Amino acid sequence: MAFVSINHLKKYFEVKGGKLHAVDDVSFQIVQGRTIGIVGESGCGKSTLGKTIMRLEEPTGGSIIFDGVDIAALPERKFRPYRQRIQMIFQDPFSSLDPRMTVYQLIQEPILSMTHLRKREEITPRVYELMDLVGLARRLENSYPHELDGGRRQRIGIARALSTNPEFIICDEPVSALDVSIQAQVLNLLQDLQEDRKLTYMFITHDMSVVKHISDDIAVMYLGQVVEKCESKELFIQTLHPYSQALLSAIPVPSLHNRKQKVILKGELSSPINPKPGCRFAARCRCATDKCRQETPVLREFSPNHFVACHYAGQTDLMGTTNDP
Amino acid sequence: MTETTRENIVEIKNLTIHYETPEDIFEAVNNISLDIKKGSVLGLVGETGAGKTTIALSLMGLLPFPPTHIYSGELFFDGQDLLKLSEKELRSVRGNRIGMIFQDPMTALNPIMRVGDQVSEVIMLHNRVSKEEGKKMAVDMLQKVGIQPERYNDYPHQFSGGMKQRVIIAIALACRPELLIADEPTTALDVTIQAQVLDLMKGLQKELGTAMLLITHDFGVVADICDECAVIYAGEIVEKGSVEDIFDRSCHPYTIGLFESIPSLERDEKRLKPIQGLMSDPTSLPSHCSFYDRCPKRCDLCKEKDPTTIEVAAGHFVKCFLFDEEVKKM
Repeated sequence: MAFVSINHLKKYFEVKGGKLHAVDDVSFQIVQGRTIGIVGESGCGKSTLGKTIMRLEEPTGGSIIFDGVDIAALPERKFRPYRQRIQMIFQDPFSSLDPRMTVYQLIQEPILSMTHLRKREEITPRVYELMDLVGLARRLENSYPHELDGGRRQRIGIARALSTNPEFIICDEPVSALDVSIQAQVLNLLQDLQEDRKLTYMFITHDMSVVKHISDDIAVMYLGQVVEKCESKELFIQTLHPYSQALLSAIPVPSLHNRKQKVILKGELSSPINPKPGCRFAARCRCATDKCRQETPVLREFSPNHFVACHYAGQTDLMGTTNDP
Repeated sequence: MTETTRENIVEIKNLTIHYETPEDIFEAVNNISLDIKKGSVLGLVGETGAGKTTIALSLMGLLPFPPTHIYSGELFFDGQDLLKLSEKELRSVRGNRIGMIFQDPMTALNPIMRVGDQVSEVIMLHNRVSKEEGKKMAVDMLQKVGIQPERYNDYPHQFSGGMKQRVIIAIALACRPELLIADEPTTALDVTIQAQVLDLMKGLQKELGTAMLLITHDFGVVADICDECAVIYAGEIVEKGSVEDIFDRSCHPYTIGLFESIPSLERDEKRLKPIQGLMSDPTSLPSHCSFYDRCPKRCDLCKEKDPTTIEVAAGHFVKCFLFDEEVKKM
């Protein structure tokens, strides 16, 4: 059975001019100890999805079943114990840490507020244990975040997230602010921790090569909706949705061989405020027809365990288009 | 190589730049030599703090004095040493013959000035044209980067990130510069928008015959649009050559390490191979090889002295003892 099950989750924001559909009817399941990657461009709702699952934003509709309990419906007081079990690692290690706290204080803070440890003799070994776990040298305990580089700061963020012994961690672009050589160190650390502690990850990123490396399953989001969802390998073998195809072909590949022709998308993300019916990607899609502009495609199982929301899935490939505009 | 040759638009020779504060000396750029051929694209790749932006700003004459101290070196642009020009002479080069695209499109534009005026401002500053002509040229330039004339009077906040970066490209290319410096031009953009912008830059670079210095940390971007590539580490060029040299015949352990740390889309690998450790602190660089602490192939000699730059094949330079024939003989 799925450890985390998100069903028809919605998050709308009231804005001038209507409702902003940040997360619109998103469903997926994660098995314990596995990683789901959520990919999409900025503004597609992937961070809001993470925050809504953490209940940092109240969901507008839908359910979040965590270990058999619908945490979307719990009142704040009853939800509090779950905050220990679900943790989050934030994107920007430069702004997510209090600049006036030392490394020791930063790691101690969630231990004091979220766990039962109170005595200094209990807390200090725990802080050191966490520092060892994420590979922070003890001599850094009195340093401030500004004295450390991005990779070490992100390790503090990871130590904070681990301090409550969580089972499920939402990683919101944890490596996108880091240099590649440091990024690889942090990704390896996250993988080791997952193996040791059977952690379940939801990994939000815009970097396709990172998501392929770390995820078991991938969900591609576009304007608040999941447009394609399948096993990580499958997505790179058989890409069905025209948006996923464009996203994959746009990745700059660090090699001079096997260079594929790029699908350059026209235009940019349309507005998520009061979206019209029809496929939300239709305006930028090279295969769009009148049907796409009128009928909303639903997420359907195209082949076993491969879901896609496109009327013409399987008929669109990279080079030839079914309907040349 | 003492005389500047015709085919190079830029020749940087033995450039050393330090930032000096009462407490520390920050060795940003150390004895760098670099050429850019006319009409070609050079990619400068390195980690945060490696000195990439310092090189770009030195070409633009935008480094603040103090704390900057240019110790030695010459910066030839089309045969002229930029370091010897007066501020007034420099002004006629900057923005006119050398254009620059800055990293962050969100902060590089003036928020209270119409975007069209920001393009025509550069044109009128460097060309003797009337206001009407300047506006007309700005409209043409904006159309080249895919912005409709109706948007001439819009303000930057009405544009998305990708569109703002297009405006900045229009400003940088407005005077048809001979050299375009692009400092991480697509780092702040999404991949699909990045593909649009790179495609546009490549097209305009070919059309106008502009030489380009592209600063990036992404080898993928280099593979997309560069002809040549230089890898910079702790203020030194550790390897340079054609993109084929760097991608297919990479020599320096740092270059190889960088390629190995990128997760591959083609292969399946269980674990990544990161480069161990961190870049040395630029306030206390060692006198020996600055990559020594992180190098998987280090030997005792690397700790004794700094390697010299060796030409391993025509046009392919590596700064590592592993390729030094003199050392191998010893």
